[in-house]
Amino acid sequence: MNWIEKFRSSHLISKLFVVMTVSIVAVCLLTSLITIRMAERLFAETFSITNGKVLNQINTGMESFNDSVVNAVTFASQSGSVKTYLTGGDTNSVAMSKVYYRMAEQMEQTASNLGAYDVAVTIIGVNGRSYSTDSSYWPVTSQELADDPLTRHTAAEPRRVLYQYDERDGKAGKERFIIASKALVDRTGGLSYGMLYIAIRETEFRRFFANFTSSGNDVLVLDPTGVVVSSNRTELIGGKSPELLQDVETLKRDQLDYLNGTAFGKEAIILANDLPPYRLYLVNLIDRQYTAGQIINIRQVALICLVIIGAALLLVFVISRRLTLSLTRLVRLMSTITKKDFRNYISVSGSYEVKELSKAFNYMLDELNDYVHKLLETQKEQRNAELAALQRQINPHFLYNTLASIKLLVQKGSKETAAETINALISLLQNTISNANETITIEQELENLRNYVFINQVRYGDRIKVSYFVSPDCIRCELPKLILQPFIENAFFHAFNVKTEGTIYILISKTEHSLVCEVADNGDGMELDPNEWVPDHPKSRSQLLTGIGIQNVNHRIKLLYGESYGVRITSVKREGTQIRIVLPLIEESEVTGDAV
Amino acid sequence: MRKSLMLLMLSLVLTLVVSACSGGSGTAGNSGNSGSTGDTTGSTAGNGGDGSKGAQEITVWAWDPNFNIAALNLAKERFEAKHTDIKVNIVEYAQDDIVQKLNTGLNSGTTKGLPNIVLIEDYRAQNFLQAYPDSFRDMSDLIKPEDFAEYKIGPTSYNGKQYGVPFDSGATALYVRTDYLEQAGYTVDDVTNIDWNKYIEIGRKVKEVTGKDMLTQDPNDIGLIRVMAQSAGTWYLKEDGKTPNLADNPVIKEALETYKAMFDANIVKLNSDWSQFLAAFNNGDVASVPTGNWITPSVKAEATQSGKWAVVPTPKLAYSASSVNASNLGGSSWYVMNMDGQDAAANFLAETFGSDSELYSLLLEKIGAIGSLKAASSGAAYDKADEFFGGQKIYADFAKWTEEVPKVNYGLHTYAIDDILAIEIQNYLNGKDVDSVIRDAQAQAESQLQ
Repeated sequence: MNWIEKFRSSHLISKLFVVMTVSIVAVCLLTSLITIRMAERLFAETFSITNGKVLNQINTGMESFNDSVVNAVTFASQSGSVKTYLTGGDTNSVAMSKVYYRMAEQMEQTASNLGAYDVAVTIIGVNGRSYSTDSSYWPVTSQELADDPLTRHTAAEPRRVLYQYDERDGKAGKERFIIASKALVDRTGGLSYGMLYIAIRETEFRRFFANFTSSGNDVLVLDPTGVVVSSNRTELIGGKSPELLQDVETLKRDQLDYLNGTAFGKEAIILANDLPPYRLYLVNLIDRQYTAGQIINIRQVALICLVIIGAALLLVFVISRRLTLSLTRLVRLMSTITKKDFRNYISVSGSYEVKELSKAFNYMLDELNDYVHKLLETQKEQRNAELAALQRQINPHFLYNTLASIKLLVQKGSKETAAETINALISLLQNTISNANETITIEQELENLRNYVFINQVRYGDRIKVSYFVSPDCIRCELPKLILQPFIENAFFHAFNVKTEGTIYILISKTEHSLVCEVADNGDGMELDPNEWVPDHPKSRSQLLTGIGIQNVNHRIKLLYGESYGVRITSVKREGTQIRIVLPLIEESEVTGDAV
Repeated sequence: MRKSLMLLMLSLVLTLVVSACSGGSGTAGNSGNSGSTGDTTGSTAGNGGDGSKGAQEITVWAWDPNFNIAALNLAKERFEAKHTDIKVNIVEYAQDDIVQKLNTGLNSGTTKGLPNIVLIEDYRAQNFLQAYPDSFRDMSDLIKPEDFAEYKIGPTSYNGKQYGVPFDSGATALYVRTDYLEQAGYTVDDVTNIDWNKYIEIGRKVKEVTGKDMLTQDPNDIGLIRVMAQSAGTWYLKEDGKTPNLADNPVIKEALETYKAMFDANIVKLNSDWSQFLAAFNNGDVASVPTGNWITPSVKAEATQSGKWAVVPTPKLAYSASSVNASNLGGSSWYVMNMDGQDAAANFLAETFGSDSELYSLLLEKIGAIGSLKAASSGAAYDKADEFFGGQKIYADFAKWTEEVPKVNYGLHTYAIDDILAIEIQNYLNGKDVDSVIRDAQAQAESQLQ
C-alpha cells in the first residue's frame, strides 16, 4: 500500500514514465509471446502433417525390406537342399561336397532376395551345421547362437519372422544389429529343423530413415519393451526408454496425430507409426525447442523487443521530460515568487500550454507589480504631503512665546533687540510659510537657523551658543527646507538640562556625492538603544517651530531620497550628542526654475 | 610504427604472390589430368607441385584391416616421419566394393572419387591393366621388377611396363599336424616335397588311424585347383591372358583328377565359409591345410596346438613334369592411379613397399605378412625360429618358396573361369567324365568370354 501512496504523490514525470514503461513492456512482451506461441503451434501442426507423411514413406521402405526378408525366409524354408544340409549327418566327402555345394547355391539364391541390402544370412541346423553368407558381418558362432535369447524368442514363435535388437563385440568395437529370425519348420511334422537369421547392421538399417532426419528431427525405432533399436541419434541406441514407449502407446491407443511430450529430457513433438510386420514402433521426435528456435529466433525477437522498448522509453522519457520540465520550472519559479519583490519573471518556452501559462503568469506579475508600485507611490505622496503640511504649520505656541518675549523686550525698553527679534521672526515666518519651494539653499537654511537661534537666545538667554562651520563650496547646495531646525531645537531644549551652558556646532560639508550636515552639542548626552530611534519629547511640543520632530525628519529624507540617505545619531552620556544627516548633493542651478 | 606496418603489407603481398605461384605450378605440374582427385584429395589437388607448402594428401584404398590396412599403417608411419608435407589417408573398403568402385570410376572416364593408390588382387590385376592401361601410372622408373619375386611380375605388369608394386606373397605351403602324422606312422620328412598322390595316400592312412580328415574344402572355392595349376606353370588361360586353356590342358585335367581323388578317398571335411574353414583346423578336425602362407596367423591363433604343426612345401602334381613344390594362392599388389598427386603416391610406394626391407621385417613381426621383395627375405625377422611350428624357421622357408613360385599370366578372366569350373567339378564329383567336364567348361568359358 505504501508504494501506491508513494506513487500517487510522486512527480508527474515519474508517474508518466512508470505508466509508459509498464505499458510498452507489456505490449512488447505480449505481442511477442502470442506470435511465438502461434508460430509454434502452426509449426507443430505442419510438422506433424509432413512428418506423418515422412513416417509413412519410411514405413514403405521398411515394408519392402520386410518383404525381401519374408521372401528370403520362404525360399530358404522351402529349399530341400537347405533342409538336407541342416538335418543330414556326415557321410562321405563326395556326398557331402554335393550337400555343401547345393547349400551354398541355395543360400546364394536366398541372399539374392536381399541383394538390395547389405545383410548377412546365417542358418543353423539341428545337426549343428551352420552356414553364413558373411560370417564376418555378424560375428557370432553357432554355439553362441544356440543359447542366445534371440534363438529362444524365435523358437517360442516359430510361425513369425521376429525382429530383434542385438549387440556384438566385433573387430571395430561394439556393433549393433537388427536380426530378423525365423524358425525353419518341417511342413509335415511341424518340427523345427533350424533357425534362419538375417542380420542387418544398425547403421544399414538406419538408412531407411536417416535421410529424413535432421538435427532436432529425430527418428527412432522402438521395440515393444522400450529398447531403442535404431536411431539417427546413435547415443540412444540400445538404451531403454519406458516413458517414450508409454507416450507412443498412448498415441496409438487414442489414435492421435501427434503428442506433445518429453523425450530424453527434452520437450518434443512425438509422432509414431506401427511397423506391424516388425512389431516395432517407428517414432519421430521433433525437438520443440530446437526446431522452434530454428523458425523463431527467440534471441533476435528478444533483442528487437529490447531495442524497441529502449528506444520507446528513451523517446517517452525525453518528451515527457520536456513536457514536465517546463511545468517543474514553472512550479519552482512560482514557489519563489515572493523572494524578489514579485520580479521573478518566467522565461516563456516549452509547449503551447506552458507558454500560455507562463505568459499569463508574467502578465499577472506585471499587473501585481504595477499595483504595488502605484500603492507605494500613493502612500509616499500621502506621507510627503502630510510632512509638508506639518512643515508649513508654524506652531502657534512658538509664535505666542516669541511675541511674548518681544513684548517683554519692548517693555524693558530694549527697542533694538525687539526690532531685531521681530525681524528674525518675520524672516523666519517668511521662509517657513511663504516659500512653497521644498528645497532651499544652505545659505537660506542658515539664515533661518540664525533667526531661530536668535529668537531662542532672546527668549532663554545666550548660555547656549551656536557655532556654524560651513564649507564655502556648500553654500549654493540645496536641501529640504527646515531639515536642520528640528535638531537644533532638540539640542536647545533637551541637551542642556544638567549642564547649564554649552555650544551647538553646525557643520556642513560635502563629499563626492552627498551633502553631510552635522549637528553636534557638548551637552548631557544620552544612552541610546541601538534599536530605537530617539523619541520625540511630547511635552515640549510648545517649543516646536513646526509640527516636524526629529523623528519625522528621518522619514522625510528617506521618502524623498531613498534608503541610502538619512539621519544617524551617536551620543555619549555627559559628553554630548552628534547627529549626522546625509543628503544628496543638489546644486542650486538644478532648481532655479522652481524658485519664486 | 609506420615501418612495421609497411613490412606487414609487404609480407602480405609477398605471401599472396608466392601462394599464387605455387598454385599455378601445382596445376601445371599435373597437366593432362581431368578433374580433381576426389572427395579427400580434391581439396588439395592444387598443391600437386613439389615445394608447394601445405600438406599434400594421398588416398589409399585397401581391404582387410588385419592385414593390408595394418601394413599400410606401418608404411604410412615410416613414410610420414620422413615426409612431413605429405599426409597418407587410408580408406578401408571391402574388396568387392573396391573392384566395383574402380570399375565405375574407370568406366566413366574420370578420376573423380578414385584414390591415388589402390590395392588390387593379382588375379584381377590384368583385367584392369589391360582395360585401362592409361589410368595407372607406369612405375618402371621407380622400382625394378627383378627386385621382386618373379611370379608377381606377370600379373602386375603389362606391355613391358611395370605398373604394380608387388606386395604380399601368396606362396603356398602345406601345414601339417605332426601329431596326427605320427599316429599314422609318418614323419615330417614323409610329407616334405611329395606329390598329391602321396598326399592322398597319407591322408587315407591318417583317416584310418585317427578318424580325422586330411583337409577341409569349401566346394565353392576351388583355390586348390589354382594352386595345382600354378605349381605346374600353367593357368586357366593361355599366355595371351584371354583364351581359355582348359580342354587341352593336361595340367588342369590332372588337377581335377587329383581333386576328385581326394573326395573319393573320403579325406575331405567340408566347410561352407571362412569361419568354418578356420574352425576345421583350429578344432583339430583336419590333419593338414594346403593353402597360402597368409593363413599362418590363423593357425597360430589356436595356441593350444603349439608345437603340433609343421610347414612343408606344397605337394606337386605327380604326372605333370613342369609341376614344382611351390605355388601361390591369392596375393595382391599396389597400383598408382594416373592422376593429380601421382608422383607423391608413387614416391610413397617406392620408398615403402618398393624398397624398404626394414618395413617388411616390421610387417612380418607385427602382422605376419610376407612380402615379395627379394631383398627383404634376408632380414633377421625371417631367420627367427617359430616355436609354434616346433622351432622351424618358417618365414625363411616361405621366402625361399616365394622365389620358386612359377610365373603365370592370370589373364583377364580368372574368376569367371573359376565359377564355371566350380560347377563342372560338382558334376565331375557326381560321376561326369573328366574329359567332358573340361570340354564343357572350355565351351562355356569360350561362349561366356567372347
